[in-house]
Amino acid sequence: MIKHLELESTAPARVCVLGATGFVGQDLVRNLKASEVQVLPLSSADLDLTKPQSVERLQRTVGEKDSLVIVSAITPDKGKDVTTLMRNLVMGQHLSAFLEETRCAHVVYISSDAVYADDANPVREESCCDPSTFHGLMHLARERMFAAATRKAGTPLVILRPTAIYGATDTHNSYGPNRFLHTALKEQQIKLFGQGEEKRDHLYVRDLSRLTSLCLERRSEGVLNVATGHSISFFDLAERIARLCENGVEIEGSPRANPVTHRHFDIGAIYKAFPTLVLTALEEGLAESLAGIKRASIG
Amino acid sequence: MIGFAGLSHLGVVSAIATATKGFEVIAYGDDFALCDSLNHGKPPFFEPGLAEVLASNQSRIHFTSDPSEIGKCEVVYFSLDVPTDENGSSDLSTLTKLIEGIITFASDSAILVVLSQVPPGFTRKLARRIGELQDGRNLQLFYQVETLIFGRAVERALYPERFIIGSHKPRAALPKAYAKLLSGFDCPILVMRYESAELAKISINMCLVSSVSVANTMAELCEKIGADWSEIVPALKLDKRIGPHAYLSPGLGIAGGNLERDLATVVSLANEVGTDDAIVDAWISNSHYRRDWALQMIHAEVISHSETPAIAIWGLAYKQDTNSTKNSAALSLIDALKPFSIRAYDPHVVLDVEIGPNFSQSASALEACTGVDAVAIMTPWPQFSSINMAEIKAAMKGRVVLDPYGVLDGNACAQAGLLYFKLGSPALGASEK
Repeated sequence: MIKHLELESTAPARVCVLGATGFVGQDLVRNLKASEVQVLPLSSADLDLTKPQSVERLQRTVGEKDSLVIVSAITPDKGKDVTTLMRNLVMGQHLSAFLEETRCAHVVYISSDAVYADDANPVREESCCDPSTFHGLMHLARERMFAAATRKAGTPLVILRPTAIYGATDTHNSYGPNRFLHTALKEQQIKLFGQGEEKRDHLYVRDLSRLTSLCLERRSEGVLNVATGHSISFFDLAERIARLCENGVEIEGSPRANPVTHRHFDIGAIYKAFPTLVLTALEEGLAESLAGIKRASIG
Repeated sequence: MIGFAGLSHLGVVSAIATATKGFEVIAYGDDFALCDSLNHGKPPFFEPGLAEVLASNQSRIHFTSDPSEIGKCEVVYFSLDVPTDENGSSDLSTLTKLIEGIITFASDSAILVVLSQVPPGFTRKLARRIGELQDGRNLQLFYQVETLIFGRAVERALYPERFIIGSHKPRAALPKAYAKLLSGFDCPILVMRYESAELAKISINMCLVSSVSVANTMAELCEKIGADWSEIVPALKLDKRIGPHAYLSPGLGIAGGNLERDLATVVSLANEVGTDDAIVDAWISNSHYRRDWALQMIHAEVISHSETPAIAIWGLAYKQDTNSTKNSAALSLIDALKPFSIRAYDPHVVLDVEIGPNFSQSASALEACTGVDAVAIMTPWPQFSSINMAEIKAAMKGRVVLDPYGVLDGNACAQAGLLYFKLGSPALGASEK
């Protein structure tokens, strides 16, 4: 659950986005700029958070009137091993050192639903955090680091835990809408693990950006899951994408390697925090993503 | 003469029930205006049948704000309801102060009985304190389990299923005056040690919560897979291990304060002594989850389709036959829908707190429906069941009816063109959407 420190929506003075060139960061920067919010986008090319010097650089760059959004992380497609975990934690260590010493207007940490136990259904903010992957462990450890650091500095912190995110500009090729859309277009084929029985919630990247902007406007504090509250099987998802592509996509199963697990969300906390927010329906999000991928391939 | 000290819901009902059984009663409360009002036959809250039994037994009961009158009583009940916070934690300070004050006025051989909702260990500790305050008197202390149910308090007080008594000497006979009083209610009397009696009350409530949690869990599954919980319940009630009176109605979470108090007490006690309370945590979690059923439905069926949704809410009390709104699911829903137009109606509750500019209370259930997208029946007041579906449909702009407790006839709603949702059942009327 989160609480809002601003009773009414108030535009942040400036938002510094760390990880601004990643899939989520790019969309967030676009969304903030569209709302005429002053944005300072920073990527690993501008600021290498794995280096200790990044602390001083952050102190020079980010002021007490700034809101800070942390999306920086080495994503699982670049490594799922202990080395990646440790590099991500080093980034967290440097960010914590900065957050401990510098009071900002507000900090938003984009974490992940990977912090929860695999069988935590329906997932709520109070669900058991017991990550089964180094990626989830990294996010949970960073959450705790940032919470301790911001508490010390007196900076309000909101932790957003999005479920799997999709959108046209995704580069991670993760199993789900992103990979299915690309292979459906290029190869007229969608390959499923098993028969695609697993049910998952799929979040359109624009919804995460909108919700992050709302948190910035209200200077929200606490923990909030970001999901749609509707889970469907990967098979159903593949069928929807196949229908959308209209190019005779074949859906192909494969021998099952892992047991079937499902993930559902109770998004009551979103309804209570932002009653007027209506999240994008899956069909609409998939159609927009498909159109975006087609435009990019033409461009 | 029987005395009652503490005139909240529990004390008022219990004192009047005792007078109804033919005993002379003195009921003490420090609020002179309240005593005056009760002496003129006006109870301070709504409870079915209470005004009537008070009127017919007024000659045997005297409400007073003078604590010294308690000195005339052979048996003195401490009957103040113990308030709880939003987490269900009890505040015993007012009760403790009342007890310490009243003891000074008690007669030499008074029988003192704690009727209030106290945690395990309270009575033993109080007995030690009374030992210090005896001052040459022969005061005896008992704990008596209260089983008050809001909306059925008079019936429960007049016809208890049994008395559960906590005693410092559980094998000894009860004092004559106390035994005479209890036998006037013609039910089994179970005497046990203080701690057992205190935990017996909580155990009863844990069994109820357990049943309701089973009903909630299975009802939600029914909603998702096309089963109907109301078809399943009769099969369960014919099972002797479950029984015809089992609490198997799904609901919108635990409310009212009493069950929440006992849940909090068990969690606190288990943490203190190191016993397993995981199942109690699960019940609490399920209760919070189901409280949001109507909110989830309104978002899915109304807010996601309408830019300016308007909602009617029938019922504000936490359940029917009471005007208590403690932890009411309706108030929780209204709080989560503040940006939208809400029209509420309750036959016995008028909110006197400022909710917001989009909230209003209507004079009737039908008036609340005018131009709304959805009606949510949050309290199952029986009078709602007689409202004509066609008139509801005609008044509304939309056609969504959320009837968690099944007050209306779902099939008739669907026939009238309404889209009907009930806890534990598949939606009705969806094909006409």
